[in-house]
Amino acid sequence: MGIWPFLALMLGVSGVVRIAPVVPQRWRVLASLAVLLAFLCWAPFTLDDFRLFQMQRIGVFALTCLGLNILTGYNGQISLGHGAFMLLGTYTSAVLMDGTKQMSFVDAQAWPFWATIIVAGGVAAVAGFLLGFPALRLSGPYLAIATLALVISFPIIIRKYSEFTGGAQGLRFPQPPPPPFLEGLLDRAEWLYFLVLLTAVLMVLMAWNLLRGPVGRAFVAVRDSEIAAAAMGIDVARVKVTAFTVSAFYAGVAGGVFAQITGSVTPESVDIVQSINFLTGIVIGGLASIAGSVIGAALLVFIPSDAARIVGNLLGIETIVTRAPGAIQGAAVILVIILMPYGIAGAARRLLSLRWEAVLPVLRGLPAGLGRQGLRLPGRVSWAWEIRPWARRGQANPAGRKDVEKSGGEMSRE
Amino acid sequence: MFQWLGQLFLAPPPWENPQLFGEQVVAGLATGSVYALVALAIVLIYRSTDIVNFAQGEMAMFTTFAMWSLHLAGVNTWVLIVLAALLGLALGAVVERVVIRPVEGKPELSVIVVTLGLFVVLNSVATWVWAQGVLPKTFPTPLSLLESVNLGFARVSQHHVAVLAIGVAVMVALAALFNYTRLGLAMRATAQNPTAARLMGINVGNMLTLGWALSAGLGGLAGALIAPITFLHPAFMLSVLLYAFAAAVLGGLNSVPGAVVGGFAIGVVENLLGTYTPDWLGAEMKLPLTLLLLVLVLLVRPTGIFGTQAVRRV
Repeated sequence: MGIWPFLALMLGVSGVVRIAPVVPQRWRVLASLAVLLAFLCWAPFTLDDFRLFQMQRIGVFALTCLGLNILTGYNGQISLGHGAFMLLGTYTSAVLMDGTKQMSFVDAQAWPFWATIIVAGGVAAVAGFLLGFPALRLSGPYLAIATLALVISFPIIIRKYSEFTGGAQGLRFPQPPPPPFLEGLLDRAEWLYFLVLLTAVLMVLMAWNLLRGPVGRAFVAVRDSEIAAAAMGIDVARVKVTAFTVSAFYAGVAGGVFAQITGSVTPESVDIVQSINFLTGIVIGGLASIAGSVIGAALLVFIPSDAARIVGNLLGIETIVTRAPGAIQGAAVILVIILMPYGIAGAARRLLSLRWEAVLPVLRGLPAGLGRQGLRLPGRVSWAWEIRPWARRGQANPAGRKDVEKSGGEMSRE
Repeated sequence: MFQWLGQLFLAPPPWENPQLFGEQVVAGLATGSVYALVALAIVLIYRSTDIVNFAQGEMAMFTTFAMWSLHLAGVNTWVLIVLAALLGLALGAVVERVVIRPVEGKPELSVIVVTLGLFVVLNSVATWVWAQGVLPKTFPTPLSLLESVNLGFARVSQHHVAVLAIGVAVMVALAALFNYTRLGLAMRATAQNPTAARLMGINVGNMLTLGWALSAGLGGLAGALIAPITFLHPAFMLSVLLYAFAAAVLGGLNSVPGAVVGGFAIGVVENLLGTYTPDWLGAEMKLPLTLLLLVLVLLVRPTGIFGTQAVRRV
């Protein structure tokens, strides 16, 4: 099956289950997630190798985007430097698996791949913890610039200390074979896909559990108002450093898994544009949303490979698209920000918050309504559209999205 | 008695070769004036719209590549420098009207992401149009990079002296514009309080467009001045932009004199680090080291040396 029918089928079935009438909402949500998971488990047996590798990359990018979303979406700290954390994780994994480039005090022996992924996350978490402290004093554009500096400096440092990192050539190392009990059932690509899927599902569950609990509430409270959070007894500095650490841990694990699926790493494996794309990805996908992180990651993979080509065919500008896919990608980012400020996840959440009893009268009244002065929405439906997507779950606003309506444009930045 | 200290350096230390030290300082001031121009561009936009334009460097890269094409077509190199600034002006105005205007007043993150999107678009298009064949490309200078001017204490290349002179002249002109003309007054008023400025009959929208145009014009000029030194490739403005960010942040993002002082300081520090860093660090580490220095300064003064903390209403 091609990737597009596959994705359409997956999202379609899962979406229908999600909005099925009568059944209690809680069951519908669980069932639609189960459908998603079932489709994802089926994916390697129906997609070709190229698409399977794309799916692996989506899983890895989703982890980085999720980490960044924890920091930026939930905690309000902007980072352009998550590519550096991811690269740190990749190199940690690579050096440990290579076995020959290790420091003398470690046995020069290749580590098992799963251990290197955990260590990669740990090393990145320590780096994030250490960077969290200077980040405490920086906010907004200052923090964005400082993290941009990080992602530009890191490859220079890697190239400089080449006896350890392989310099500009980077490192090559064997990818892990399927474990004995799966021998014969899965080939290497399929096994790697399931490795990515398992890691991603585990990390998403961890994030979900973390973010709905006291820690996640504290992240959001600090994002919305540090002063109010402090007044409620939250240790603001501690919460912000925690967010940085958790976020870097996710990027590090993503890097560790990335090393497994590529089998090689160079200082350009995660370049500056890629690092910037993680931020643009979560903004398009949806801030302060786990689903938004995954959607953003999928777009990061599919826009250069497919969406650019499709747009190019439609507009008849194929040369731009084949030579400069970034042009389409950047333009898409700008358009989404202007047209869909809540991101795709936000738009989807709004759609899901529509209720049948509110939609049906509109559909029935459509022909008559269009005949006169355009389409007129009855009051209840416009209410359903206007509702803040995050208000339903008792959350406060996503990062930086201040109460413009309430306080007027001038004060919106406070 | 400083012998052990001298051995730490890659080059002969200043007290043994003051000529080299002087040359490096003047060369640093020259590149510093370019950083100051870009830093001024950043500060101009930040003061008037609270936006940090991450695409500033890529816009300059774009205009510089366009100038390179004109150079191949045989345009005089002095004219190129002027055209670079003019093309920058036009590009800045278009960008403000088309891309920035729709997100005005939107949350900080949206605006940052829009400028990042612009970054990716310009970078990608420039790579497609110009980055074929041999890279980096050489960019012409009206003066020589090899023939030097004797300043008495140091010999510096003609190009560096010209860059320094042009940079300082432009800064003086800008200061005059902002302090002694009605237009400058209107622009300052817009930056300070758009609502009040509008009530006084100032066309705020036009002032913002003009601010972006000026800023991109400064960037275009800076690109054409630094390109002969750094050579031309799609990423050549990236490190310039970082040094300019460092300069602007060092001086304080909302301080105009801060940007100038910061630019010169970063230029000199960068050049001295490149010359005198010991072998185990190496000259290629000057960018990370400069940025480390910046972070250290920020830890002591989070809004830069001349910057002021905005008073926040809770």
